[in-house]
Amino acid sequence: MSEEITPEIFNHLVTLAALELDDKQAAYLRRELNQQLKAIHELESIPLDVDLKITTHGVSYSLTTSPVLREDTWLPHPNPGEILAQAPQVDEQYIIVPDIPHEKLD
Amino acid sequence: MTEYEVVIGLETHIQLNTKTKIFCACKADSWDDEPNTNICPVCTGLPGVLPVLNKAVVEKGVLLAKAMHSDIRMRSFFDRKNYFYPDLPKGYQISQYDLSLASGGYLDIPMPEGYTRRVTIHKLHMEEDAGKTKNAGNLRLIDFNRCGVPLVEMVTGPDLRSANEAAQYLIRLRQLLRWLDISEADMEKGHLRCDANVSIRPKGSHQLFTKTEIKNVNSIDNVKNAIEHEVERQIREVEAGNRVQAWTLDWDEEKNELRKMRSKETEADYRYFREPDLLPLDLTQAWLDEILADFPELPLERKARFISEYKLPEYDADILTGERNLSDYFESAVQHYAGDPKKVSNYLMNDILRMLNESGKTANQLQLTPTFLAEILTMVDAGQINTSTGKGLLEKVETSAKSPRKIVEEEGLGLVSDDSAIRAVAEKIVAANPKEVETFRAGKESLIGWFTGQVMREMRGKADPKMATKILMELLKK
Amino acid sequence: MELCDRSAHELLDLLRSKQVSAEEVVQSSLQRIAVVDGRPGSLESGEETDQDRRTVHAFISVAAEQALDQAKAIDQQLAKGEQVGPLAGIPFSAKDVFCVKDTYTTAASKILANFKAPYTSTAVERLQKQGAIMLGKVNMDEFTYGSSNESTAFQPCPRNPWDTSRVPGGSSGGSTSSVAAGEVPFSLGTDTAGSIRQPAAFCGVVGVKPTYGRVSRYGIIAFASSLDCPGPVTRDVTDAALMLQAIAGADPRDSTAANVPVPDYLATLEQGVKGKRIGLSPDYFQISYMDAESGEIHQKPVQEDISAAVYHAAEVLQRMGAEIIEDVPMPNTRYGIPAFFVISRVEAASNLHRYDGVKYGYRTPSAEDDLRVMYRKTRNEAFGLQPKLRILMGMYVSAAQYSEQYYNRALKVRALLRRDFDQIFDKQGKYQLDALLTPTTPTTAFPIGAIYGDSVLMQYSDQFTVTANHAGIPGLSLPGGIAADGLPIGVQLLGPDFSEHTLFSIGRALEIGTQDEVWRLQKPAVLR
Ligand SMILES: [Zn+2]
Repeated sequence: MSEEITPEIFNHLVTLAALELDDKQAAYLRRELNQQLKAIHELESIPLDVDLKITTHGVSYSLTTSPVLREDTWLPHPNPGEILAQAPQVDEQYIIVPDIPHEKLD
Repeated sequence: MTEYEVVIGLETHIQLNTKTKIFCACKADSWDDEPNTNICPVCTGLPGVLPVLNKAVVEKGVLLAKAMHSDIRMRSFFDRKNYFYPDLPKGYQISQYDLSLASGGYLDIPMPEGYTRRVTIHKLHMEEDAGKTKNAGNLRLIDFNRCGVPLVEMVTGPDLRSANEAAQYLIRLRQLLRWLDISEADMEKGHLRCDANVSIRPKGSHQLFTKTEIKNVNSIDNVKNAIEHEVERQIREVEAGNRVQAWTLDWDEEKNELRKMRSKETEADYRYFREPDLLPLDLTQAWLDEILADFPELPLERKARFISEYKLPEYDADILTGERNLSDYFESAVQHYAGDPKKVSNYLMNDILRMLNESGKTANQLQLTPTFLAEILTMVDAGQINTSTGKGLLEKVETSAKSPRKIVEEEGLGLVSDDSAIRAVAEKIVAANPKEVETFRAGKESLIGWFTGQVMREMRGKADPKMATKILMELLKK
Repeated sequence: MELCDRSAHELLDLLRSKQVSAEEVVQSSLQRIAVVDGRPGSLESGEETDQDRRTVHAFISVAAEQALDQAKAIDQQLAKGEQVGPLAGIPFSAKDVFCVKDTYTTAASKILANFKAPYTSTAVERLQKQGAIMLGKVNMDEFTYGSSNESTAFQPCPRNPWDTSRVPGGSSGGSTSSVAAGEVPFSLGTDTAGSIRQPAAFCGVVGVKPTYGRVSRYGIIAFASSLDCPGPVTRDVTDAALMLQAIAGADPRDSTAANVPVPDYLATLEQGVKGKRIGLSPDYFQISYMDAESGEIHQKPVQEDISAAVYHAAEVLQRMGAEIIEDVPMPNTRYGIPAFFVISRVEAASNLHRYDGVKYGYRTPSAEDDLRVMYRKTRNEAFGLQPKLRILMGMYVSAAQYSEQYYNRALKVRALLRRDFDQIFDKQGKYQLDALLTPTTPTTAFPIGAIYGDSVLMQYSDQFTVTANHAGIPGLSLPGGIAADGLPIGVQLLGPDFSEHTLFSIGRALEIGTQDEVWRLQKPAVLR
């Protein structure tokens, strides 16, 4: 049986996912992906009605059971400093990350 | 030499002027705040927290959709647009993809040259803003204050044909946004952001050629400037036998030049899917009716009506509908005034606008209300005060908030139309200037103006000049 | 029987009648933890020892001092005759995805090992407001991705109190271990495919997956946001009702927390099953699983003593007045897992985007001058294999060119699964069921190491539970016997949206109907 996730597709996915894997991890993950996809292909054996309605959630919400939207009222978070305190690198209230090199036109 | 046609589509991001962000209760405007102080767990994407949609965002979005003649969807959806960027804390932006708040629509833009350009709307959806990134050497400084500020993204069709048309579109859009109180629409502050998709094609062609995207332009002048630069560059490339490549360009305002950002060859796959943390957005007819109940007459409609109903020149009508408060002010003053609307317009265009500029107020904030202005005009018309007293009253009413009539009474500014008082002064002037009387009587009747002026000066301008002339003529011809 | 072995409702009676103090209750729990839990999970655990293999390792962190302080405060209030919350003095544990202000919330991942949430999840907040005392955070599969707890980055991983060579199930394995071992009467878990019910069955306790939207998800680190349901893990149905009562209901911080009034679960708890229509479906007595080599799907019946236990439960309920309806067709049941493979991965990959070393949690120590390298190294070094697997699958099946084939198809299958339930619960329909009675799991707890690594087979242990997540309906797993291997068997009740009260009353009836059966006397190995 041919593999759906070839090493090329796999490497592309790894890049998209912002990951970087050693060979052992890559081999395991690619094998598992292909195994799972085999299981997923079972879905193709189901005849699906054209008018089958897709919903985001299994439970259906009515107008009365849907929570009301938020009123536009300002409620400042009491301790933004605690959020910033979680960041690995902070300087003068800014969160710091490395740059991405930039290309110049011409 | 080939003649080229320019094809431009604009992607605008409109920051809504709600009090709070789109999915959390942080305030929307943090222009003056220290970095990372206007933040909470929701807008910084901390684990486990959830978005809760701000009702006012939907309401403003509906107003804009209506103004753009878009079809409003009674059920729309939020979707996740996934990508990595340090100022995008969740790693996805909550946006609307295939079933957004509204679809289609257009805006008719009158061009100064006299023709009208219809600009179609391809996309109109609500989404959250990302944070801000500053570069500092080989580091990036991230500020999340702006994360989660509500935006409406609006994308036009490739309908604009020059940098100037693009500028006119932005001018009219900005006017509309302020008119509807949807956005402050200040480009310098990023309330209104614009990316321009620019391509050229031989005149007569209907094909769309490879376009470039200009980003990061923060004023209408710069949009115009950047597009002009890019059109020139594309023509240069094509003339040199090269192909235009689908670049993303960055406008460097200081250097007045375009920089290439990243190749668009591999269009990013954002892997959109429905945002499971939010339910579908259902508008009920009742809510829609409520939102649209006070939907105002739009500036261009109002301008046309001012021209036809009040016989204003187009120039006046354009300025008076530039801003909604001013235009409401004008109309209210006209309603309180029985005379020619053009006179009201003159006062507004000359004096009131200057007053607004100097004070930084909007028309609705003036103490000199439209009713007071109408009162001043009525008094001038009735000869109760002269024109210069009338103009002087504008400031006095504005500073004191007293009615013009009361000020005239208190300060005795009214014209003297008492025959005997004017006659006494006129007799005095005639007696004191025998030489001029002689010249007049010798036939130089144009001297009457000089005599009237003397009377007026003597009476510090408070005499009814018509009556003074009449009495003087009587005395001189005796 | 020690205090810590008592159920919460018994403890509440003792506390209210001042026969025991809250401090004594908490002390009893802490002593039990000291005896059975062993060393807590940590990132640098070193070699596993023999001692490790004999203890349950439910906890990642124990907040003993704070818990004792709270208990003393409650005792003082009680002494002064002041009003205390309805759950005052009841200890509970929370799966380490529930954010609690000023405590570490790790999701059992290295990437969040140092994360201290500046907020408290709604479920924990509601328990605390009612006077319940959080004793600590319990271990789980990393980011809830698993059914055995072996994937936690905090080793030693939790073990099954009935047999410490077996897994407790997962991903709420720490929750069910802590409840089964008598460490706490209450634990908060989350259920995305069966993550409360499957380990509840494996550990012989009660687990509830409420209706989607019944309990707020605010403050709970997400797996698959459209499927995740926080819920109670307890030792009996009464406690489950008591606990759900405390945490259920709308929440302005969760737009999916339904605006549906919470009924008084205790009021209807003892109403019995007279006239209740309870269904049995053949589709829940066989499993489909994929052969790892050939990729072929095989069918096989569930473990014999498990199906026997379910039929026995049906008999008991029938004896008590319920009507049992057999041969209820649930034709799409077998597609639950493949559909879950797609839907949950798409959401999970997106939910894991935020862990990038920028704002919180782990950042690679190797100083890099390229942001993209920082991302890759951070995520590679701090995510375990299971998160990586879910991210990659999610990326694949939601890619623009594949999403129609995979993601949209899976959503349609979810709609079919929902339709199966709509039809059997339809009050005008052919079956008009109040509940469907099924096995919770196809097997009893499997040995540690037996399945781990085979991500497909692992997922298939959720085959009977995942359907409720797709459909959004509530499910209750409760003990239904002890298998020949000496391990607990769980039976599951599934009901229509917001029918938790019905499930509780049926479950309670089953408890009453089986209270004198011999298996009820058996205890977990660690307590023998
Ligand atoms: Zn916020």
